[in-house]
Amino acid sequence: MSGRIVVGYTATNAGLDAVALGARLASASGAQLDVVVILPGSGRNVADPSDAGYDRYLLDTAEKWLRDAAATIDPSIANNAHIRFGESFAEGLMTAANELKATFIVIGTAGGGRLGRHRLGTVATTLLHSAEIPVVLAPEGARNTENSAGITRITAAVGTRPGAGALMNEALALVSATGATLRLLSLVTVDLPPSVDTGVIRIAGAAHADDVLATARAALPSHITAEAVIARGTSIEDAVQHLSWEPGEIAMVGSSRLARPRHLFLGSTAAKMLHELTIPMIVVPRTPLAKESQR
Amino acid sequence: MSAVDKSATPVTSDGAENDRGISSKGLSQGTVGLIGAVVIGISCIAPAYTLTAALGPTVSAVGFQVPAIILIGFIPMLLVAFGYRELNNRMPDSGTSFTWATRAFGPWVGWMAGWGLIAATILVLSNLAGIAVDFLFLLIAQLSNDPGIAELAANPFINVVVCLLFMLGATLISYRDMQTTQRLQYFLVSFQLLVLLFFAGTAIVAVANGNGFDPSALSWEWFNPFAVTSFSAVAAGLSLSIFIFWGWDVTLTMNEETKDPDRTPGRAATLTVVLIVTLYLLLAISLLMFAGTGTGEFGLGNPDIQDNVFFALAAPILGPLAFMVSLAVLTSSASSLQSTFVSPARTLLAMGHYGALPKKFAAVSPRFLTPGYAVIVSSIVASTFYAVMRFISENVLWDTITALGMMISFYYGITAFACVWYFRHQWFDSIRNMFFTLLFPLVGGMILAALFFITLIDSMDPNYGSGSSVGGVGLVFVLGLTVIIVGIVIMVWQAIKHPKFFRGETLSMDAPPSHRGRKR
Repeated sequence: MSGRIVVGYTATNAGLDAVALGARLASASGAQLDVVVILPGSGRNVADPSDAGYDRYLLDTAEKWLRDAAATIDPSIANNAHIRFGESFAEGLMTAANELKATFIVIGTAGGGRLGRHRLGTVATTLLHSAEIPVVLAPEGARNTENSAGITRITAAVGTRPGAGALMNEALALVSATGATLRLLSLVTVDLPPSVDTGVIRIAGAAHADDVLATARAALPSHITAEAVIARGTSIEDAVQHLSWEPGEIAMVGSSRLARPRHLFLGSTAAKMLHELTIPMIVVPRTPLAKESQR
Repeated sequence: MSAVDKSATPVTSDGAENDRGISSKGLSQGTVGLIGAVVIGISCIAPAYTLTAALGPTVSAVGFQVPAIILIGFIPMLLVAFGYRELNNRMPDSGTSFTWATRAFGPWVGWMAGWGLIAATILVLSNLAGIAVDFLFLLIAQLSNDPGIAELAANPFINVVVCLLFMLGATLISYRDMQTTQRLQYFLVSFQLLVLLFFAGTAIVAVANGNGFDPSALSWEWFNPFAVTSFSAVAAGLSLSIFIFWGWDVTLTMNEETKDPDRTPGRAATLTVVLIVTLYLLLAISLLMFAGTGTGEFGLGNPDIQDNVFFALAAPILGPLAFMVSLAVLTSSASSLQSTFVSPARTLLAMGHYGALPKKFAAVSPRFLTPGYAVIVSSIVASTFYAVMRFISENVLWDTITALGMMISFYYGITAFACVWYFRHQWFDSIRNMFFTLLFPLVGGMILAALFFITLIDSMDPNYGSGSSVGGVGLVFVLGLTVIIVGIVIMVWQAIKHPKFFRGETLSMDAPPSHRGRKR
């Protein structure tokens, strides 16, 4: 995959998490890395008179931030730094990602969250509501994972819901680019409303999950093998905790049914998973852009 | 489409500096039109707020001659603003007065100019919040028909607590850079102007119908500055009227960000000032006609209402619609809060950047891209200042406004002289230069310097202004002197700890050479 990974950078630990993960992903998949800082742009500042001097200072500061960020990236990874302007971080980042024809957007989700966990702030939420390409969420502490950890395994949370096709395509593309192994995860058995008579449904669900996984596996190209697991537990959180996760692993989920086509929206299952995961998570939009139109 | 042409300039990650020529373009190029510039100008002046705070003290200084003082008070402001514009075009820098005075006169004078700006904006922040508190309680009282609530604002404990909450809110807004939308901004400014017009109109109609509190016939004498009894009174009035025009200069210094940099700033500044002067004159005249300058309940000479005249006069003039004035002043204060907060923060940031203050002040919040540390420090200082003043002064709002006029004269004066001195080799390059870099700022600076010293000396009298005093000396004098002495102490301390800036290593003195030689 000769894609481009766009990292939305802020000079915070969350930003360093994102840069480290972006670099690891780029290095494992042979993609190009673009680190982007978004500054407040025109048209936004109506309350106070803008100040060319301050704007310049901000620009200088942003350049320094980008140099500091670049210094943390392994020199073997091709990377570029950009300063863009946008009405908001999310808006500016998406515009930049579109212009750069990015295949992934990486952002950090730390900031007040428990160590090692994700916590979605307004930026991540906005992005997840409107991005048209997969968004990679770097958990707090991703900056401490060595680049050499690589990408060892992709776990795709498959369901029968729309979006699964796009999810599988993305997962396969990433697996072939990185040489990671593929694990298919079904959460059907635990992903139930609390009111349902769980005993009965669980048995039916287990059978259903087997079907889903079998279908998914059957759809795989012959050269790719996948492990399949059915999550067990009293809740999504419980199930996620009981699964084993490798340090170089990345989880992948499809965006919710509520999302407009081609836009992301984090469903409740994914949100619950995210809450427990200590590894990066990729959220894939329902209908991806036609891959052929991208480089 | 909000992405600017800058986006085409990637910063290479190998640490290469990008072209300074490109960087010198502003981020907000060509986005502000004439109306937008006028709206920003009016919003920064916040006429509803400034007039309610300054009208009473001005009446107490010059009596009926307020219109005259408003008209001539504009002159030094205009003259200095020309110099300000020259400097801003030549060296746009977020340190403004600090940076320019340093370039012209060296680090020590520059430091004090920056300090003056910071002190002035911190004074106005606390005054702004104080006025907002009064009107918040008044608004609640008016809407709930319970006049008792308005009196709660006079309780110093309640007042200080609510004021600190206001400051906290304003700090959060500035720190997180939460912006109002352009439409809301336009609406607030229009609302403010319309309510003030309505207020003035109703007062005049009331007088015509014989319902004035102390009807006083309009006289041309009101426009005659020579009718004021003493020169000191003129100086006191002028130093207050400088405050009411403070902020207007932003329209003139807007440059790169306007759609037509050659014409928009000049036109916007003219239009803004015509609107503002008309409005001030109309309000001052109508309120003088309605209430007179006597010391009766609603008389503008009544010391109990002088520090916040709209607060007292809204109800007798507008009756049940008085809440409109409260709303206008509240929104006016609120919408000027951010621009007011930004100014000391940016100067502190520049001072931190050049080593005139500890480096921490130069920190930019990576998430919100605001001068975070400087914002928080300004807020803490302004809050502490207000809380202390509320307890030691009988008339905190009045005293802060008077001290503010003095501080504005101080740093604007230095800025004006900085312009004159910085361009000393270019004075006679052209007729234009002679006026804009020599005559105008020189005269403006001299007027402001005179005002500063006269106010400083006069305010030693314990009966000066509101009549608050500390140890037999006028509180305004104590305030002004304390601010300056504290500034000198911090400056010397910084010079000992971090002498780099004071040796001229970070920001050097400079004077652009004449261009005449080149033309020949």
